Amino acid sequence: MRMLRRALPLLIPLVLLFQVEFAAPAGQSRFALKGATVYPASSSRIENAVILVENGKITAFGPDVKIPSGAKIIDVSGKAIIPGLIDIHSHLGFFDSDINEFPQPIGPENRALDALYLDSPDWSEAVKGGVVTLVTGPGSGERIGGQSVTIKTFGADLQKRIIKEAGEVKMAINARNLSHVQAIRNSLLKAREYKETWDRYEAGDKKEPPPKRDLALEALVKVLNREERIRCHVHFANDMLSFLKLKDEFGFELTFEHSTEAYKIAEEIAKRGVGCVCLPLVMRIPLGEDLMRGNAVLEKAGVKIALHTDHPVTQEKWLRLCAILSIRYGLSEEAALRAITINPAELAMINTRVGSIEKGKDADLVVLNGPWQELQSRVDLVFIDGVLAYDRSLDESKP
Amino acid sequence: MIIKNKPFRMTWLFMAFLGALALPSGTAEKAIAIKGGTVLTMAGKSIPNGVVLIKGEKIQAVGSEVKIPADAVIIEAAGKYIMPGIVDAMTYFGVRPFDLNDLTNPVTPQNRIIQAYYPFGKFMQGKGGVEPDKELLGGGVTTVYIAPGDRQVIGGQGAVVKTSGRDFDSLILREPAAIDMAIGDPPKAAFGEAQKSPVTRMSIAALIRKSLIDAQEYDRAQKAYDSKAEEEKKKTPRPSRDLNMEALVKLLHREIPARVEADLVDDLRTAIRIAEEFQIDLIIDSGLTAYLVKDLLAAKKIPVVLGPTSHPFVSGGEVSSTPELLRVMDEHNAAILSKAGVKVAIASYGFGFGGFGDAVQGKWLLLEAGLATGFDLPDEEALKAVTINAAQILGVADRVGSLEPGKDADVIILDGYPLNVKTWVEKVFINGEAVYSKK
Repeated sequence: MRMLRRALPLLIPLVLLFQVEFAAPAGQSRFALKGATVYPASSSRIENAVILVENGKITAFGPDVKIPSGAKIIDVSGKAIIPGLIDIHSHLGFFDSDINEFPQPIGPENRALDALYLDSPDWSEAVKGGVVTLVTGPGSGERIGGQSVTIKTFGADLQKRIIKEAGEVKMAINARNLSHVQAIRNSLLKAREYKETWDRYEAGDKKEPPPKRDLALEALVKVLNREERIRCHVHFANDMLSFLKLKDEFGFELTFEHSTEAYKIAEEIAKRGVGCVCLPLVMRIPLGEDLMRGNAVLEKAGVKIALHTDHPVTQEKWLRLCAILSIRYGLSEEAALRAITINPAELAMINTRVGSIEKGKDADLVVLNGPWQELQSRVDLVFIDGVLAYDRSLDESKP
Repeated sequence: MIIKNKPFRMTWLFMAFLGALALPSGTAEKAIAIKGGTVLTMAGKSIPNGVVLIKGEKIQAVGSEVKIPADAVIIEAAGKYIMPGIVDAMTYFGVRPFDLNDLTNPVTPQNRIIQAYYPFGKFMQGKGGVEPDKELLGGGVTTVYIAPGDRQVIGGQGAVVKTSGRDFDSLILREPAAIDMAIGDPPKAAFGEAQKSPVTRMSIAALIRKSLIDAQEYDRAQKAYDSKAEEEKKKTPRPSRDLNMEALVKLLHREIPARVEADLVDDLRTAIRIAEEFQIDLIIDSGLTAYLVKDLLAAKKIPVVLGPTSHPFVSGGEVSSTPELLRVMDEHNAAILSKAGVKVAIASYGFGFGGFGDAVQGKWLLLEAGLATGFDLPDEEALKAVTINAAQILGVADRVGSLEPGKDADVIILDGYPLNVKTWVEKVFINGEAVYSKK
């Protein structure tokens, strides 16, 4: 395996060529997608709509958009368009050996961005599935694993691809270890003291030298200030309750990740406004029938839910399939689409840019050959920031 | 393939006898007619508004103009679909994970998975007797292949079992049904961790060859003894029996096939090469890149049991750790193979113990088949991949896999088209007995 990884750089130029070739035909800075059924996620479905894209942004959208004379018209009649999908819990873009700093159980200072492996072929596979934005980062091997990066899956300029360099702090608690929650609590208490020390310094005359910076505590202070949220990997209902009590004590922004048994305490979660990043992981992880109906239970209770692939546990490109399965198990089609678009955008606090088809948002658009919620429908075109990132007719023209 | 299954038949007779005592005469043998639905027989064209007539444990008639006996129990299925029970051609169902692999030894052909099979519901719970898994039945699955794990080179003997029956023996359709082997990363990883041979592909192939040569020798010695005159036999001791060798001799005699898990093209070619050398029947399992050798597989009539469409890395391998596979794998695998004339089954490779609450992946097998149709596999082929093709590959097509007179009455009724994601299985019959009804 190591040998193969060493050989990878030789293959990378091929991957880049592939992307450039796709990107080239859509170099136009202004174009209109016309004739499709559009599912904007933030509002109801519109038949035969026009989406106008200018300089990477959606500048007009609706049934009666006047297309400017210079804009290229792309006829997508009979197709469906959904917003670029968002996976709020992924580990795509890292070597497996780089996502868990196992010997260090508390490592909030660790930043996923510093381990990002941009030449992984997984990125272009994600695009094929219509997945455009990822919150991708540390694994769940530690109590506090580090900070995730929020990034698009395609684009020539890395800096432009990144929506948020760091911040979202990943934590993990697992049942059967009484020390897990306490370890996190201790860290937050330390962070509170650290914050107070700095607050005192800032408020004072600053004659003394400033307190020594601590990157770990700095990250947690952002959490205490509610500038960033905690992403807590958790499976058991009792562990969730413990963490909810922690939230009551410190008042941080929180999402549960995996949220396996969240449906069993849906009301408790709903009343605290905690978001849930939910299963299934396509058909890979066997889940009981009651659990499969859990997403509908959470939605009904008023919990904001998002779905995830946990890539590489399941491949990034199947995110849409998680939503389709949720529909089978009682989630409404509208709610299922929101769970892979606008909801994760809101939970990740990036909804001003992505997550829905609305005027002013990034032109991240997925064109499918049939209703998005059908098992057999395929992604035909993917636009990311107004650039054609994937065209199935080119991809599958190989013999 | 003739299935010798005496215990099964004897139990059946005994139960029929009991039934005759307990019920008013005739009731036990009352026919069941499922009528009005679209019948997907998997043995020719589908029949709109058809009838499936069940008598006892068998299917008596299938068609659009079947004469229904006056006293038959009628099941109205208008607007519904009727098809044979789903056959999952590769699972680890009902076996605890720690029972799957004997990592003290890479080669254990004597091991029989049936001896680790536990169909009695939850440990230390339940009323007693065989307890069918409701989730699996809810997915319409009536027959599964259960296998030893894929971490050894030769793991042992697999079995074909039904998902419901009156006792343990009546579940068994075919045992042993194959010898399970693995070439490539799974044994390499397992034995590499233990710093024990085999850690290379060379050594894996050499081990399989050596085992089969040992079996040839063993077979010769046994045959030489058998061909001696009775007088001679009295004087010379019979060569000692060796259960490992006995299992492999079944391969050499082509009583059962070898099932070889192989993903990379090199591994596929190795499997084919060895099967040719020793003239044994071969089934390829997993076959992530099998489409790259489609013509070879078609020419040699080697079937492939693919993994699930949505997570084809069946040995738990993660995609990002195998970028070389990611570059060549293709969701059109099933479609390309099928078009080339290779017999294809799609299987769950699912577990039934551990994970989250003992749930089973196999219940979603129809969805995996449906997903494959999005990647150009024709609907008919997708349905065959989880019914008749699977049954044929497992050597049990004389009993299950299609709706035809004389076959076991394993029938499912669905509330819509089977490959639609919103369709649910409503009723399941196994051996003519209603074993599942959707709540």
